[in-house]
Amino acid sequence: MRSLTLILLLACAGTPLGYAQGASDPDAAAKIVAMEHIWSQSYVLKDPKALGRILDDAFVNVESDGRVITKADVLAEVRTSAALQVLTESMAVHLHGDTAILTGVILIKGVERGKPFVQRARFVDTWLCKNGQWVTIAGLVTPVGD
Amino acid sequence: MKTTGLLLIVVCALSLSVSTQESNDGSAAAAIRALEHEWVVARSHHDNRALDLIFDDSLVYVEYGELVSKGDYLSRIKLAGPQLSQIVMEPMTVRMFGRTAIVIGSYRERDVKDGRPRLRHWRFIDTWAYKNSGWALVAAGAAPLSNTQN
Repeated sequence: MRSLTLILLLACAGTPLGYAQGASDPDAAAKIVAMEHIWSQSYVLKDPKALGRILDDAFVNVESDGRVITKADVLAEVRTSAALQVLTESMAVHLHGDTAILTGVILIKGVERGKPFVQRARFVDTWLCKNGQWVTIAGLVTPVGD
Repeated sequence: MKTTGLLLIVVCALSLSVSTQESNDGSAAAAIRALEHEWVVARSHHDNRALDLIFDDSLVYVEYGELVSKGDYLSRIKLAGPQLSQIVMEPMTVRMFGRTAIVIGSYRERDVKDGRPRLRHWRFIDTWAYKNSGWALVAAGAAPLSNTQN
């Protein structure tokens, strides 16, 4: 019995800590798309609360000008957002076990310093099933086309 | 006594797990850095066989704002000829999340457009996933660095 316990413990030792298997979640893609919608709407609502749970603490995003921003930067951006409408198009999810890649196009309409603006960008987000919850760990936003 | 023994086993196993994980993370990060460099070398040599091994079949790649599949990327490399742009890699950071890794870095791209040489600076972010018995590139993309970032 003692030997069995030891073998079981040692077998678990090689398993990465805290990373659940997302592959067993049949609703993973739908959940991730729903969370992307929460993310985009947080800019319209200027409410970072829900987004705080979606972004992993180690989250990083590469912006369309090449800057690398952190979770804290994104949450600050949401609080001061000038967006009035955020729409997402052509979203697709690719699952790789406990990792998911989501691609899509985002359209942001808003008013900044009295001037209306429209931005259209392509995004790629990496999601990870961590402790049974999907969180996003990285993203890229880049202008559509050339 | 039995409880103490079991407790010791649990503590040892957990610390072994953490140290194994740290060591695995270090070697995995080194392997991923090597693969990033291999990608650049394979691209410059139009070595689609090597690229095929590095890229996952469902790779999503964002190039100049367009979504490119693995097949599209490999076709372009095959047809590009000697005028393919030159890539010079700059320092990169690898962040490990178990069987997933995120790489952030920058590179300079030198090419010729309308007969004139052009140098562009890019920030890239790549996602690698551990599949079967190796790391595969599942997502990659880059954004142009503005002049202030150069």
